[in-house]
Amino acid sequence: MKEKIVDIIAAYKGVDASEIATDKSFADIGLDSLDVAELVMQIEDACEVEIDITPELNCIDKLVEYIESK
Amino acid sequence: MLKTKLCELLEIEYPVMQGGMAWVADAYLAAAVSNAGGLGIIAGMNSNGEQLREQIRKAKELTNKPFGVNVMLMSPFVEETAAVICEEKIPVVTTGAGNPTRFMAAWKEAGCKVIPVVPSAALAKMVERRGASAVIAEGGESGGHIGELHTMALVPQVCEAVSIPVIAAGGIVDGRGLAAALMLGACGVQMGTRFIVADECTAHDNFKEKVLAAKDIDTLVTGKRLGHPCRALKNDFSRKFAEMEYDMTVSNEELEKYGAGALRRAVIEGDLKTGSFLCGECAGMVKEKMSCRDIIQDVVTGAEALLGGASQWLK
Repeated sequence: MKEKIVDIIAAYKGVDASEIATDKSFADIGLDSLDVAELVMQIEDACEVEIDITPELNCIDKLVEYIESK
Repeated sequence: MLKTKLCELLEIEYPVMQGGMAWVADAYLAAAVSNAGGLGIIAGMNSNGEQLREQIRKAKELTNKPFGVNVMLMSPFVEETAAVICEEKIPVVTTGAGNPTRFMAAWKEAGCKVIPVVPSAALAKMVERRGASAVIAEGGESGGHIGELHTMALVPQVCEAVSIPVIAAGGIVDGRGLAAALMLGACGVQMGTRFIVADECTAHDNFKEKVLAAKDIDTLVTGKRLGHPCRALKNDFSRKFAEMEYDMTVSNEELEKYGAGALRRAVIEGDLKTGSFLCGECAGMVKEKMSCRDIIQDVVTGAEALLGGASQWLK
């Protein structure tokens, strides 16, 4: 799951997956709230899951944990 | 006669909504717009729950037509205003300045139609998936908090992204704007600036005169540094804010402090120097005070004439 999400975000940013820090906040990896909305839609489609985005879900690690708990 | 699916959805006569402008959009303006066949909206702004309830009750006394409430999602009282909307069973809730998804289930359960203002296609898609009845695609020509995209590019892209009705906002003041919005795929418009000068609007006369005197280049955007870009008429306050914003010796806290209370000073006190007169780029097209009924009639008949004559372009 984590790999899939990192790949989606890396493709969105146009960088290599190894450059994506999963423990840093979305803001710290250069994603604003509209980028996050766009990515959440892509991740929902790819993972067939509904993501209620909240301020607490602010990095990839937390997002993965949330999706896996559903 | 111009009718769209927005009229059916909101049970209104004309596909025209009034924007939820802070301090401007009170119960009097909202009721007047609804009585004129559009959809009036009360601005929730930073009101607490009881202040909002008072406005809602006042509007219910003034009209028996549907009206809405705009929830400003950055408000410190957003939880209590969200609850008041459920208790008062408001027919329509619009939202701005953020992502409303955490409140949507409760509003829908209370029977409210939820219509978020969206600045991008992805956010439109997200709120559609969470049950929004429609979206307002608001371009950066508008006054107040704005996004990056502008109406001409935003509206068709949002229309392609979702299957719920799309309402266009930003830069629309007359029949030309409504006709253009319909051509872009929207089924109605939301207007703010034009209603500032409505007879029923209780905003200070200085604000109204400033809108009427505005030219095309008389607004500017400040607040980008704080992450909340905002369009207002040029005056001492907004020029000084813009200067401070580019001065790196001024902290963000000082900027916030400088802006505190400026909306109230503009709308209620009419303070031309230190007030923040939020206003769209289209202020230069607003030339006359009139009633809400006349404004809506002017917009609708103007659009009907343009749409009726559009076949002239086909040879």
